Amino acid sequence: MSLPKITRLPPARLLGSIQHHCQQLLLPSITPLTVPRRAIIQSEYRRPGKPKEDKLPWQKINFSLSKGLDGIKKNFALLKKEFSDRWVGPEGKPLREHMLEQTRVIWEFRGPENLEQWVVSSDSEIGGQSEAYLKLSKNNNTLFLYGTLNSTPPRDGETRYSGYCTMRSKQSLASFDRKKYYDWTNFNTLHLRVRGDGRPWMINIGTETYYSHMKDDIYSYFLYTRGGPYWQDVKIPFSKFFLTHRGRIQDEQHPVWLDKINTIGFTLGDKADGPFQLEIDFIGVSKDYAHTEEFAYEQFKRNPEV
Amino acid sequence: MCVEPGCCSAGVSTWRRPRRVISEGDLFLHAFRVNGQCDDSTMKCARCLLQLQCLVSWSARSAAQYGALLKPASSGQPNLLHNTQHQVLRSFHGSPACAKGRPVPAEFIKEDDKKRNKSLLTYDDLFEQVAKEVKTKATFNRVVDIFIKRDVRRRGHVEFIYAALKKMPEFGVERDLVVYNKLLDVFPKEVFVPRNFIQRMFNHYPRQQECGVQLLEQMENYGVMPNMETKVLLVQIFGEKGHPIRKYQRIMYWFPKFKHINPFPIPQQLPEDLVDLARLSLTRIANDLDAKVTVYQLPCTDITESGEEVTLPHVVGIQSPSQMELLAKHNPSRPVFVEGPFPLWLRKTCVYYYLLRADPKPPEEKVEEHYDPERCLDYPLQLDLDLERDLADDESFSVEDLDEGPVYAMCMTGRGDQTTLNQWISGLQQNNPILGQVPTLFRLDTGPKELQGASDGESCHHSPDRDTKREERQTKEPEVIVEDEPRRSQGIKQ
Repeated sequence: MSLPKITRLPPARLLGSIQHHCQQLLLPSITPLTVPRRAIIQSEYRRPGKPKEDKLPWQKINFSLSKGLDGIKKNFALLKKEFSDRWVGPEGKPLREHMLEQTRVIWEFRGPENLEQWVVSSDSEIGGQSEAYLKLSKNNNTLFLYGTLNSTPPRDGETRYSGYCTMRSKQSLASFDRKKYYDWTNFNTLHLRVRGDGRPWMINIGTETYYSHMKDDIYSYFLYTRGGPYWQDVKIPFSKFFLTHRGRIQDEQHPVWLDKINTIGFTLGDKADGPFQLEIDFIGVSKDYAHTEEFAYEQFKRNPEV
Repeated sequence: MCVEPGCCSAGVSTWRRPRRVISEGDLFLHAFRVNGQCDDSTMKCARCLLQLQCLVSWSARSAAQYGALLKPASSGQPNLLHNTQHQVLRSFHGSPACAKGRPVPAEFIKEDDKKRNKSLLTYDDLFEQVAKEVKTKATFNRVVDIFIKRDVRRRGHVEFIYAALKKMPEFGVERDLVVYNKLLDVFPKEVFVPRNFIQRMFNHYPRQQECGVQLLEQMENYGVMPNMETKVLLVQIFGEKGHPIRKYQRIMYWFPKFKHINPFPIPQQLPEDLVDLARLSLTRIANDLDAKVTVYQLPCTDITESGEEVTLPHVVGIQSPSQMELLAKHNPSRPVFVEGPFPLWLRKTCVYYYLLRADPKPPEEKVEEHYDPERCLDYPLQLDLDLERDLADDESFSVEDLDEGPVYAMCMTGRGDQTTLNQWISGLQQNNPILGQVPTLFRLDTGPKELQGASDGESCHHSPDRDTKREERQTKEPEVIVEDEPRRSQGIKQ
């Protein structure tokens, strides 16, 4: 078990932007009648037929004065908060509270500022026809994700599957755009309060990784909704999450490394064309003492055995 | 660590096409035919062909043939390309089992042309020709049989399988394991099994392995679980450690794990009858075993005296005892709303339901209800035990509760207009006399809309004393005065 140690090393290379993560989830890896390409460096998704961007690295940067001033204001405010939080205790909470914490609400949706922590994308980025939108629901207290799913694949000759809609949380950043991670090692269960329309969703947890080839590794599990007017409390133990890479389950599985969680995402791709909706009240983590399972899948034997 | 199920595609990229071209001429052409639409690859192929002509001493005749082939390819006219290309390539169409470069006699080409029509997608046409009138499993099987019997060497089986996979949904056999096994049977046996360690080390027959993986992937997508016959076939075709058998092992490992994972299972075959479907979906969303489904109106078609045909839609409603109790406590001066339609997905079908609900109570109207602890002596309604709790025993979330107002009943109907829903409300009134006094507002949308105003689960969570509640209700009933003329007949449309 040398791998968990690796994650504690400082990241050598920053990950790509978050938006591009989502769209790679459902990409097929086999294209039957065309020559498959495998780049040595896994770059962001580029649609087939789209030319490579011919820009020098500094040409993509926006050097504007107002942006710089805003950045200074934002970053120094964050820095100040970081310093003052230290005096209170770890993560700005008193030590007693931090140590005795059994539940923690990570995301709740009580106003439009909470919506800015999320990114919505759909297969329209790869040329599909699905649409997804995000807003606060009518009582302004919950998040409402809605849209239409359309699984017609784009006619680019390479893409074989399409039809997904995704919502993903943004990477939380400390001052000067340093990455900030969620440390959920005290908890063992993901707790959600949702109201769906009967469709199955997938919950994806993205963790910090060390090597660049692992940057698309996410841990997934299913979220089944009942539908109907009542809210639904869902508890998913972290031991159930399995490792996937670009939409494919991996042979070698291991439990989620909870010490550096970057993002959480919700993906819909059940191939049922039509409108969908999902409401989320809050997303939290809790410690369930009744749950003792460490990992739900076999680890003693590789599947399939080589 | 990232061994993907589809990693054989990555392996294919190590296969350099031009080098292969020089050694096995017709295999290259085979690939050329497949890529015929793509201009870029055509150009590349053209260049390679020129090289090939320099290397191998071709007969004048075949060189002329290829020259004719090259012209349209470089001029980039797809239609022309298809025709000429086909004429030449038809016979080159070799399965790798007998892939060795050799000149082809002209009469063979002609003969071949007569048999099949001039199209690139030959096997699509095969399906279209055989199954002109009906597309069923029997015709699909017949096409496969025709292909198997046509050639001992099964030439072009990879293309045939790809074409067949694409046609499967049209024939309605995409969930049929027997058909998948029959398609796998098209592969020639024991030809692609690696025989020594070098072959095993490299990607042996990548196109064929990729095709096999593709077939399994389509099975996976449609949720078809392979059986022992599939495994035997795969071992016979690709050997025990090929990519397809790996894919098979992965499917067999993960499918059973996730088979019964849905906590709200939906039957594979939804009921055909609309009333049964409504009953199923209403009990699903009500989430209360005590909830009672009532059919207010069965679907029927009547012919009136004037000869008009009147179709009555079905109206099916559900109400649980706790919902009835909530409704009984409703303040009659506040309106109740009929809202909808809201969508509910059962696998791939979408049904719509309607709600009878009210706005949340204003804070001044909220009354703390105290249970009389002696109401039921053998079943305490309130527990106030002063347990020695640990410091860290607080397991509640610090989130404010949502108050969205209670839901009183749900219904599904074939036609979501006000008259139909009025029938539901008057049906409800038999058990809920308070509805006679309460103004009912209809907020109906043409399309599905956002859910809002469902109770905070109070009606489904707080039911430890359901039996006692029911008794209470029965005793209360005689006291309620039923008004004869309900006000909902002039429902206000908003």
